[in-house]
Amino acid sequence: MFVPRRRRALATVALALALALVAAACGGSSGDGDKSSAQSGPRTMTIWLMTGSAPPAVVDAVNAEWKKAHPNDTVKVELQQWNNITTKLDAAFAGSSPPDVVELGNTLVAKYAAAGALQDLSGSRGEFENNQAWLQSLTESCTMESKLYCAPYYAGSRAVIYRKSMFDKAGISQPPASLDELQSDAEKLMSTFGSDKRFSAFYFPGKYWYAALPFVWDHGGDIAVQDGGQWRGTLDSAESQAGLTALKQLVDCCSRADKQGDELKQDQAFAQGHIAMIVANGWEKGVILDPKQGNPKLEKDLAAFPLPGRTGGQTAPVFLGGSDLGIAAKSKNQDLALDWVKQLSGTQFQTQMATVGGVIPNTTTLLNLHADDPYLSVFDATAKNSRFTPTSPNWANVEAANVLPDMLVSIFTERASIADATKEASSRITDVLNSGS
Amino acid sequence: MVRPATALAGRTTTRRRLAPLVPYALLAPALLVLAAVLGFPMYRLVGLSFQQYGLKELFAGHGTWIGLRNYQDILTDSFFWTVVARTIAFAAVCVGLTMGLGTLVALLLRNLGRPMRVLVTAGLVAAWAMPTLTAVSIWQWMFDFEFGVVNWVLTKLGFEGYSQHNWFDQPLQGFAVIILVVVWAALPFVAITLHAGLTQVPAELEEAARVDGAGAWQVFRHITFPVLKPIFLILATLSTIWDFKVFTQIWVMLNQRPSREYFLLGIWSYSESFGVTRYGKGAAIAVVMVLLLMALTFFYVRQMLKAVGP
Amino acid sequence: MTRRRLHRVGYNAAAVLVLLVTVFPIYWMVATGFKRGPDILSFEPKWLPIPGTLENYRSAIAKPHFLQDVGNSLVVVVATVVISLALAFLAALAAARFHFRGRAALIVMLIVVQMVPLEALIIPIYLSLDRVGQTDQLAGIIVTYLTFVLPFSIWTLRGFIVNIPEELEEAAMVDGCTRAGAFRRILFPLVAPGLVATAVFSFILVWNDYLIAYVLLRSPEKQTLGIWLASFTTNHGTEWGGVMAGSTLFAIPAVLFFLLVQRRVVSGLTAGAVKG
Repeated sequence: MFVPRRRRALATVALALALALVAAACGGSSGDGDKSSAQSGPRTMTIWLMTGSAPPAVVDAVNAEWKKAHPNDTVKVELQQWNNITTKLDAAFAGSSPPDVVELGNTLVAKYAAAGALQDLSGSRGEFENNQAWLQSLTESCTMESKLYCAPYYAGSRAVIYRKSMFDKAGISQPPASLDELQSDAEKLMSTFGSDKRFSAFYFPGKYWYAALPFVWDHGGDIAVQDGGQWRGTLDSAESQAGLTALKQLVDCCSRADKQGDELKQDQAFAQGHIAMIVANGWEKGVILDPKQGNPKLEKDLAAFPLPGRTGGQTAPVFLGGSDLGIAAKSKNQDLALDWVKQLSGTQFQTQMATVGGVIPNTTTLLNLHADDPYLSVFDATAKNSRFTPTSPNWANVEAANVLPDMLVSIFTERASIADATKEASSRITDVLNSGS
Repeated sequence: MVRPATALAGRTTTRRRLAPLVPYALLAPALLVLAAVLGFPMYRLVGLSFQQYGLKELFAGHGTWIGLRNYQDILTDSFFWTVVARTIAFAAVCVGLTMGLGTLVALLLRNLGRPMRVLVTAGLVAAWAMPTLTAVSIWQWMFDFEFGVVNWVLTKLGFEGYSQHNWFDQPLQGFAVIILVVVWAALPFVAITLHAGLTQVPAELEEAARVDGAGAWQVFRHITFPVLKPIFLILATLSTIWDFKVFTQIWVMLNQRPSREYFLLGIWSYSESFGVTRYGKGAAIAVVMVLLLMALTFFYVRQMLKAVGP
Repeated sequence: MTRRRLHRVGYNAAAVLVLLVTVFPIYWMVATGFKRGPDILSFEPKWLPIPGTLENYRSAIAKPHFLQDVGNSLVVVVATVVISLALAFLAALAAARFHFRGRAALIVMLIVVQMVPLEALIIPIYLSLDRVGQTDQLAGIIVTYLTFVLPFSIWTLRGFIVNIPEELEEAAMVDGCTRAGAFRRILFPLVAPGLVATAVFSFILVWNDYLIAYVLLRSPEKQTLGIWLASFTTNHGTEWGGVMAGSTLFAIPAVLFFLLVQRRVVSGLTAGAVKG
């Protein structure tokens, strides 16, 4: 059959390209072959940790320890960024080979557990060291319908970081021990330094709901309560409103922070030197002192005290942040994963997390590790009196819908009265928490 | 039916028999890729829009068929109409400013001396080449609440209220900033392209018209613009499609957490899908978005089809 | 005489304004990358980065896997641009030079496909790739970018080819050339500006991408520069010095590429467009 060479060549090239692409698309799966191969061969396990959570040295040590029990298998740790992590998790859990172990922010666990992404670990609970002494709030975050879906990893709590020199100058000799004292101290600072138009005695960005909740909880209020299966938003209760009123009083007099901003810039702002107090996590001190973004010279001037409660001598309950370690339900390496999680959540490495990483370990028995560090021990102490957000799988949707930040902003900018803003927020929370998927 | 080129008259019938296959062979590789990686997901996207599909369904691999209910929910939601109006208004302003200012800059370029023109073109090219994430970062920093240059300049100019000002408090101001960013990045392309198009306008005609007493606007309207029209239309259509789909600028400028007053269709779709994990509804919004865009660019598409022929 | 002088002054003033608006943000980005921390976050803007520091750049480059990210980005960009040009050229040839059933539908499809919001397709694409084991593979990402780049490329190249008179090829064929030969010898060189224009758009789309790479890639050694740039913003806040230094580095290849080809791009686009 006579076909002119040129045209045949053209068509052949086109066809070849097409085939090459298909081959490339279907062929090159060498990397993923191991996981699905027969159990007898060496296996690779994937771990997803969030950047900045564990010091690299600790991770390496855990891997080494784990290797002793599984000499023929490999562990691969992949660090993920927080931005848009839920999108990535959704895709990964939906796919055929999600990571075997995954670090989840404690407010995210309920959502994924309810959707069937995480393995039920209730049966193995006894195998985890210290499982009877785990921090209450972290354990709560892992529990859904009485089943355990993850192991607590580490916690972070908040306290007030302040400038000692400013307190001295304003004549305050002791950190405040009650909310009233906090108010009057803040006012004193404002009158001492108020001529500086940028000065804030108590820097509070409007959307900082983690720091607003202690006021609500301390006055006896809460975000929502569960009434036999149904959730009911309770930010509009008299107690919650009283807490928010107290906070507003503090913000009105003594904070020049952006009423519509969030707390992400507060450490860098603090380092600029026009702020006396911020509500912060323990690790934020590192950001304040960072040479690239902050002011290392402030090191000797920083100290912390717990957020005081209404009653003198008691601290306000704080929101316990942190992460948990879950195992993917679809994981084909359940045994490997379990061992790894047991290591990282066990005494040996939790101790390292606390001493090297400076975070709060997952068990109350280790809370004395920072006893001789006056700064970190403040944060450990507040962790003992900590609360958590409603453990509903729909809580993540409440966060995604910005209900709390929006409410706070409308209160602080006085676009709505506290009564109205809380009423609206409460009804939105009730709706979202009770909605079917 | 393949139309044989006139010069092929003397070729063999065998070639003419195989000729019909050639265009399909040429198209095959591209269409294969598109079908495999785009076609399938798009088919799935439309399918999703008819289902109730939350996180549980995502991990299980299948959802519940609910027919048109997602669409019903969307179309009866007053919020939807607000978002549509907002998206159209936003796109209209962006396109209008981009094309209008772009034309002005193109005309300006024509009237500049060589050294100045090279300088301005270089500036435009630099802005054009800036990756989106980078551009948004700079502008976000310049409009920062406490440390931004813009607030500082405004305060120095006497506007005391801007000493610590959050530009995204009022959506109107916030959108003004976002539109500024979008137009800043889009204008160079339009300006440079139109400027090149202007070189095709016969200078003698313009000169003659001016000698006859026509004003600048009349010269532009009757002589210059008709020549520019084809390029202008293409640019305007492209701008419309791109500005309608704006997502990253808003998402990143508002720190991944835009409030509902900033929702455009693309953002709402993403938020429904990944924020509150209602993938079915998110997909339906995306489909509606495409249909809307098709309607808006209908006239241009029809013109294109006419030019393409049978 | 003076009237023209006035006009000249006016135009130059306008030009300076345009220059200021376009260039100042870029200057601000580059300068901030060289500033020390306290200077970046000061309430009084520091116009010049003096005294400066290279610390931001140093730590940006020192981020783990930076060089691998650069390599990955380059591989992905070059592969996407080259393959997309080849495929798009062939397809555009078909759409411009041949009549066949479905041609009109094809063209409409090419435009409609560009209207679909990218973000909506992320999970379906992930799941499709997952089925063939192509998640966390550069090949998977390249194929994904191809699908986003092809519609625009085919559509644009078709516009160029349509504007080149067929008589030129026909003349060559009368002289004894085959059809394919005519494509190669006559058409291809004339379409070169169009190819350049399409290459630029593909480059920009792939170079800038963050979301696709973030969702589809997981291994630390397979990340691209888009992800690296986003890593300066963490839940510990944003490291502004790092963001600006990183952004400057990130923008350099794009700017260089543009400067090299910009004249070709524009001449190509207008030639293609004027005849509609």
